[in-house]
Amino acid sequence: MTTQVSVQNTFVMRPKTHDKANLPLQIWLATWRSLTTIFRTPVALFPPLAISIFFLVIYESTLGGAAAFIPNLSGNSYLGFILPLSIVSSSLSGAGIAAQNMVRDIESGYFDKLLLTPISRAALLLGPIFAGALILGIQASIVIGVALLMGLESATGIGGLLLVVGLAILLGTGFAGFTVSAALGSGSAAATQGASFIFFPLTFLTASFVPLELLDGWLKTAATFNPITYVLEAMRATLNSGWDSTLIWQAVGACLLLGGAMFALAIYSLRVRTRRS
Amino acid sequence: MSNREINVENLMKQYPGGVTAVNDVSFRVNSGEIFGFLGPNGAGKSTTIKILTTLALPSSGIATVGGYDVVHEADLVRRIAGVALQDIGLDPLMKPMELLSIQAQLFGASRQQAKARAQELVELVRLTEAVDRRVGTYSGGMRRRLDLAMALVHKPAILFLDEPTTGLDPASRRDVWEEVRRLNKELGMTIFLTTQYLEEADELADRIAIIDKGKIAKKGSPAQLKAGVGKESINLAFDTRDMAEKACDQLSDMAERIQTDRDMVRLYMSQAAQTIPAVVNRLQAANLNPISLTLTQPTLDDVFLQVTGQRLTTEEDREKVKVG
Repeated sequence: MTTQVSVQNTFVMRPKTHDKANLPLQIWLATWRSLTTIFRTPVALFPPLAISIFFLVIYESTLGGAAAFIPNLSGNSYLGFILPLSIVSSSLSGAGIAAQNMVRDIESGYFDKLLLTPISRAALLLGPIFAGALILGIQASIVIGVALLMGLESATGIGGLLLVVGLAILLGTGFAGFTVSAALGSGSAAATQGASFIFFPLTFLTASFVPLELLDGWLKTAATFNPITYVLEAMRATLNSGWDSTLIWQAVGACLLLGGAMFALAIYSLRVRTRRS
Repeated sequence: MSNREINVENLMKQYPGGVTAVNDVSFRVNSGEIFGFLGPNGAGKSTTIKILTTLALPSSGIATVGGYDVVHEADLVRRIAGVALQDIGLDPLMKPMELLSIQAQLFGASRQQAKARAQELVELVRLTEAVDRRVGTYSGGMRRRLDLAMALVHKPAILFLDEPTTGLDPASRRDVWEEVRRLNKELGMTIFLTTQYLEEADELADRIAIIDKGKIAKKGSPAQLKAGVGKESINLAFDTRDMAEKACDQLSDMAERIQTDRDMVRLYMSQAAQTIPAVVNRLQAANLNPISLTLTQPTLDDVFLQVTGQRLTTEEDREKVKVG
C-alpha cells in the first residue's frame, strides 16, 4: 500500500510546451478583446472626437482670417497650421482608451483571472495599448477627413496625411504608457480619468496658435522642452510646406523619448501590480 | 497518470506588521480526492488558497500542486490547475464563447479547438441559451457557472474552488454540487474546495481540514470528525444566557460533554433519546424551563463549534443551504 502511494508521488507528467500560446498570439488575443470591448461601448469614443472636431472648426473660423497677418504664416493655410493641434488633442484623449480598458479589467477582476493563465505580462500591457493606438489612428483620420471637407490641401499629398496619422499614433501611444501606469497603480477609474487630463496643459505650453519663432520668454523655454512642439512643427511643415526630414526625425525622436520614459513607468507599475507578495 | 496531489508542509505566511495569517500549516490532498477546507473568516483559508494558486508567496514552508512548487514553478502550476475564486473575474462586455475561447487559446488550443472546447463548456454549465448575451447581463448563478467553465477550459488535473456556491440560489447550488461530483468521478480531478456551508463540505468532501487562527485545528473524513464529537446530542434553548449557564451547571454530570453557546446548551452522550426524561426532570426541579428541546445527530457544524468555539453558519444560512 505504502509502495503504491510512493510510486504515484514520484511520477510527474510535465505540461507540454505547447500548453501555452506564443507571445504574438497572446498579444493579438489581448488586443482583439480590447477592441471588442471598445466597440461595444462606442458612446465613449464620441466625446473626444467631437471635441477635436469642434476645436478645429472654432479655431479655423475665428483665427483663420488672421493667418495673413501672422508673421511666418503668411501665404500658408491656417487650417493646415491648426489641424495638428486638434489631432494632438485627439491623441491625448485617445491615450485614455487603453487605460480605461485596463482599469475596467482590474475593477471587474478579469485582470486577476488572466494572471492565473500562462499569459505574459507583455501581452497584458500591449493588448490594450495596441487597441487604443488603432482607435486613436481612426480618430485622427476622421479629424483629417473633416479638415479635408473644410478645404485642407496637403502639401505632401496622401503620404503627408499618413505621416500625420502615424505621428499622432506614436505620440498617443507614448501618453498611453502614462495613463496605463496610472490605471495599474491606482486600479481606480476615477484616478485614471484624472491622470488622462494631466497632459492637456502641454497642448498650450507650446506653439499652439502661432509659430514657435513668435513665442518669447518662459513660454518659449517650456515649448522647447515640450515634445508636442516637435510633433506640431513636423505635422505643420508636412501639411503646409512639404517634406522636411529634420523636423520629422525630431518629432519621431521626441515621441520615442516620451514613449520610452512612459513605458518604463508602465512596466514598473505592471510589475508592482502583478508582483506576488 | 499525472500527479494530482497537493502537498503542504509547514506553510507560513506573515504579513508586514507581524500578522501571521497561516501558521505552520501542513496537509496533503490525495489524487482524485475532494478536499474540503473550512474555517471562519480571517482564519487563513483565503491566504492558503492564494498561495496554492500562485497569487501569493509563502513566508516559509513548501507547497506543491501536482508536484510543482508554487513558488518556483508557478507557470507550471497554472497550467495544470484550474481556479474559480470567490470573486468572479469576468469581463462584463464579452460573451461567454468569446471569453472561453480566449482562455482556451491562451492555454495553447488552436482557434478551432478553442471554439469546440468553448461550445462543450457552455453546454456543460448550461449556458447555451444565454450564449449570445453579454456576461454583464447574467445573474449571479450564471456568472458563477461561467466562472467554473473558465476554470475548466484547459482540462486541469487539480481544481481549486473558493466558495463556489456563495450567493447562489439552492437550485444553482445543487447544479454546482452535481458538476463537482461529476468532474471528480468521471475525470478523476482532485478538487480543493473552500466553503462556508458545512452541509456542502459534508455532501462533497472525502476529507476535511478545519483551519482556525492560521493553524490546522482538525483533519479527517466527515464521518471521522463527526464521530469524534459524540454520537448524539440534546439541544436546549433558553430565554436567556444566564438560564443556559444555570442549566449547564445542573446537567454537567449527565453528559459525556456539555457545551454552551449563548442561550443554547448542548449535551453530548451515547444514549441521548433515553436520557431526555431525566434531563427534563432535572431542569424542572431547578425551575429551568427550556423554550425548545431537540435531539440531533452530530453535524460538521458541531465539529466546527467544538474545534473553533464558534459556529461557521447562522441558522438562516443553514436554512438557505438546504436544497432539493
